Amino acid sequence: MPGSGVIHHPLTRRQILKGGAALGLGSAAALGVRPGWADPWGRTSVYAKGAEEGPEVALAIRREALPIDGQSARPMTINGTSPGPLIRLKEGQEAVLKVTNLLDEPTSIHWHGLILPPGMDGVPGVSFAGIAPGETFTYRFPVRQNGTYWYHSHSGLQEQLGHAGPLIIDAAEREPFRYDREHVLLLTDWTFEDPMSVFRNLKTAEGYYNAKERTVADFFADVREKGFAATAEMRSMWAKMRMSSRDIADVTGSTYSYLLNGHAPQENWTALFKRGERVRLRVINGSAMSYFDVRIPGLKMTVVAADGQPVQPVPVDEFRIAVAETYDVLVAPEDDTAYTIFAESMDRSGYARATLAPREGMSAELPERRAIADRGMEAMGAHGMAGMDHGTMAGMAGERSRMSANGMLAAGTAQPGSRFGQAGIGITPGERRTLVYGDLKAFTPWPDRRAPARELELHLTGNMERYIWSFDGKTFSEMTGPLHFHHGERLRLILINDTMMEHPIHLHGMWMELENGHGELIPRKHTLNVKPGERVSALITADAEGSWAFHCHLLYHMKAGMFRVVQVS
Amino acid sequence: MRKTLLALTLGLVTSTAFAAGEHGGSHAPAGDAEVDRTIRLEAGDMWFDAESLNVEPGHTIRFEITNTGHLAHEFVIGDAQAQEAHREMMQQMSGGHGGHGDHGGHDMAEGQHGGQMPAVNLAPGERATLVWTAPKNVDSLEYACNIPGHYESGMSGNIDLQG
Repeated sequence: MPGSGVIHHPLTRRQILKGGAALGLGSAAALGVRPGWADPWGRTSVYAKGAEEGPEVALAIRREALPIDGQSARPMTINGTSPGPLIRLKEGQEAVLKVTNLLDEPTSIHWHGLILPPGMDGVPGVSFAGIAPGETFTYRFPVRQNGTYWYHSHSGLQEQLGHAGPLIIDAAEREPFRYDREHVLLLTDWTFEDPMSVFRNLKTAEGYYNAKERTVADFFADVREKGFAATAEMRSMWAKMRMSSRDIADVTGSTYSYLLNGHAPQENWTALFKRGERVRLRVINGSAMSYFDVRIPGLKMTVVAADGQPVQPVPVDEFRIAVAETYDVLVAPEDDTAYTIFAESMDRSGYARATLAPREGMSAELPERRAIADRGMEAMGAHGMAGMDHGTMAGMAGERSRMSANGMLAAGTAQPGSRFGQAGIGITPGERRTLVYGDLKAFTPWPDRRAPARELELHLTGNMERYIWSFDGKTFSEMTGPLHFHHGERLRLILINDTMMEHPIHLHGMWMELENGHGELIPRKHTLNVKPGERVSALITADAEGSWAFHCHLLYHMKAGMFRVVQVS
Repeated sequence: MRKTLLALTLGLVTSTAFAAGEHGGSHAPAGDAEVDRTIRLEAGDMWFDAESLNVEPGHTIRFEITNTGHLAHEFVIGDAQAQEAHREMMQQMSGGHGGHGDHGGHDMAEGQHGGQMPAVNLAPGERATLVWTAPKNVDSLEYACNIPGHYESGMSGNIDLQG
């Protein structure tokens, strides 16, 4: 069995450099181009460069030349690296985060998943005015939680330029698991195109980044398999949806390089372990548009936290991570060998990769890539058609018994039309143990145990052809006012995905307790993945007065209108 | 109090006897008189305090285990392979898919050791006693909770039997 002894280092490089930090903003830039938390020995070793320990942290935002995936690029950097440094805070601290804008445009940082005062949330036009060029904005807030989070720009499309980084908060009390070493794995998607041109391409040509449209040959293959009538019907159905069944992602590997800790697959970033150690991997999806399926062939992963919140442990072979989600997993490599950390993009157009090894310079085989998935009839869900009877209608009768006196479902009950037992498109059921939302279960009930007093229903809507994304058919610019939560109320938010794509829905300022059927032990999250045609709900305690952003975390969906302001008053 | 403890001890005599037989212990312990040592352990979420033990071969140990966590736990003694086999069985019992709903449930833990390994199940807040005689022919054993995910999260420890 592994000993749990901490590995001691006489004098860390970080300590040596501590004085250096006083030299001014961005001193980490001099130390190299890679984020410091990407140190191969992880937490129990030194943070060679770029890790910023709280409570007081100074961050400088620049646009500068920095090679990515071996090519010249001009990302946005934070203290000289892109992605930015790891910010490490401690639960109970009073964080003071000074952000200096050295760009020639306004910027911002949003602390994703943190519960903090509305003025500190970092969304220009909602929580504050933004940070003008040359200005420094000081964020101050009490740190009231712990776990794995991240931070990113909330201005325009800056996030696509690498303006993001990990944010780790050490727990004040013992966490419900033990480990010997930890590594942060930040997944991002990088494009050498200008993000505004990506957006224009999406607007002007449907399926611009999808090289996998169905062809005439596919049509005849389908006819052979399913017969002409069924094939024609299927085609006409997709045509009505203004989508191709192969639109798994809007933006794909045809423009993206998928990065892990800022490194492309062939750069083989390596995380080190000692045999017998239990290693905590803090996995963050800081992508603009890409979902990933993460696995480490040869190792079982035990999921111990979701969105920074501890969950009852779930041993899995693979998990899907939606944009903006975080998962903490434990692995225990017993052999003196290398393992591939493989994060395949959901649309299978590419992958990010790293190696978990006992020594540097090792690598393991890359697993075989899976074929592109095709959205079948099952994805239609609540759209009527095939999904009707297995979803909404049949489910209703069964759920009636669980309704409370006011006609609403009992707290914690899964909505009819939810698919919490399925990982989603492209995952073959039974092939390996894959995490599903239905697995997530808290250790103890959350503080507010009131039943919801009302329900707020929102449809996730879009028009793929015109690349318009919205809530209830209205884009942000078409809305006249905010969504209103009454201060102190307990409400149920119901999200119905009328589109054929996944949407990671993020609420700022308050937790969403995902009603996945676990009653009082439902998990709480900051980002909820809603699958095509799915209907899901979350309980919310509206205890945070002020204005908060609420949006789809697919960057270009947010830009295209899938954004609302929630006002709590 | 004393009565409760005694009752718990008696309730476990069956599995204890099995355990002694399994590991070739020379005598089946009957009461306090034959206990060489009492070890108090806390089972929390997700750890045991202590994290490892040294035990004299042939000694009869009375474990007093308290579950101070929010979840059900078990305390099972066996070699690494037996623990792993038990763990895999528990995982399969929890259903093919990550244990929808009830992984970690107390019921599932009941009776799965089939008398092959000395074990107790503990509901949250529960305290139980297990009397066990350390074998003389092995160097080390593990104690563990094999409810899916619990061992992996850290609920295990080494029993050093090298005297």
